[in-house]
Amino acid sequence: MTRSPEGESPDNIDELASEYVLGTLPAEQRIKIKKRLAQDADLQTAVDAWEQRLLALTELAEPQPPSALLWRRIERSVNSTDRRASGVAATAKPTSWWNLLPLWRGLAGTSLVATLLLGSILLTRTAVVNPTTYLVVLVAPQNQAPGWVIQASNPREIQLIPLEVAQVPADKVLQFWTKADGWQAPVSLGLVKPGQTFSVPLDNLPPLEPNQLFELTLENPNGSQTGKPTGPIQFIGRAVKVI
Amino acid sequence: MQDLYQQESARLLGVAKRIARDNALAEDIVHDAFIKIWTRAASFDPARGSARGWIFIVTRHLALNFMRDNAREVQVSEHSEMALHDLASMQTSSGNVDSFDYRARSGRIYVCLEQLEPARRNCILHAYVDGYSHSQISQKLGTPLGTVKAWIKRSLVVLRECMG
Repeated sequence: MTRSPEGESPDNIDELASEYVLGTLPAEQRIKIKKRLAQDADLQTAVDAWEQRLLALTELAEPQPPSALLWRRIERSVNSTDRRASGVAATAKPTSWWNLLPLWRGLAGTSLVATLLLGSILLTRTAVVNPTTYLVVLVAPQNQAPGWVIQASNPREIQLIPLEVAQVPADKVLQFWTKADGWQAPVSLGLVKPGQTFSVPLDNLPPLEPNQLFELTLENPNGSQTGKPTGPIQFIGRAVKVI
Repeated sequence: MQDLYQQESARLLGVAKRIARDNALAEDIVHDAFIKIWTRAASFDPARGSARGWIFIVTRHLALNFMRDNAREVQVSEHSEMALHDLASMQTSSGNVDSFDYRARSGRIYVCLEQLEPARRNCILHAYVDGYSHSQISQKLGTPLGTVKAWIKRSLVVLRECMG
């Protein structure tokens, strides 16, 4: 009975299949055949045919009514298998990332660290951020029409946000300036494109002060050559502390 | 699934009980068979037989696996084979009497079983219905193990030819 699978004649395969279905093979051989069935189509076909041939013999066992508990047991097990069903399907593929424990462990660990880090940053930051929130509305000097808003809720940078697209002659640019009360002269914060938000880091400047002046002037294409505003003021406003 | 249970559970339990020879164990086997059917329903291939047949096949093999895996049966040695043979010849040999009431059944298999001698027919039926191993059949019929093996082998060939 212990032949190698190679070189088996159809008769041998049929004999093996018939004894497997009949049930007379010992445990080790049953296990071996069960494993072979998955890859061996000929054996599978032979086994299926024998199952069908002998199936009617199951009638010879007298029916026996099951206990009332059996169906409830089956139902309970089916419900719990259902909940695991997706897991079962996935475990069939050994490479499925969904079941890679190290991956999820890693992600869970990283998330925990990130949460703690962000949480501690939030706790330490809130006390600093709130008192230094400033708002500036820049208006046109002629008609007081608001054109830009400056937001400074973050002490590291301010944002210049357009309320409308400012009209600038083709050969001119807008330059952004600021000057606190105690300063000798305005400092350039850069060239601004009409209609676009402009962020300015404040690393090289002292902290914002109440009443600090901001303005946009009309300058030649590369900005003021002197480092001071030279063209006409287009928009101007002063910082107001927001509580 | 509940329909299948209501229609077939008694017959399935009968099949399992006959092989497992224990009520509680038979219920465990039928329980496992239904779970297996449920979790593998998607892999069921109608080309390989009916769904009803499938659950009988699953139940029977679960029962056989259990019995074989837990078999601590004493292998019949050459010596005791001789003793069995003597014992069998002293008893009114069960070999010529049918142990199964197979005649009233319809189905090709029963027609083909007619072609076998009663003793050989009993071997096949003890194996399939009772889940007996070669040595259990040998003990039951008082026939030497080698003879039982040869009878079964030849009977299966006869059935194969008869049934196509």
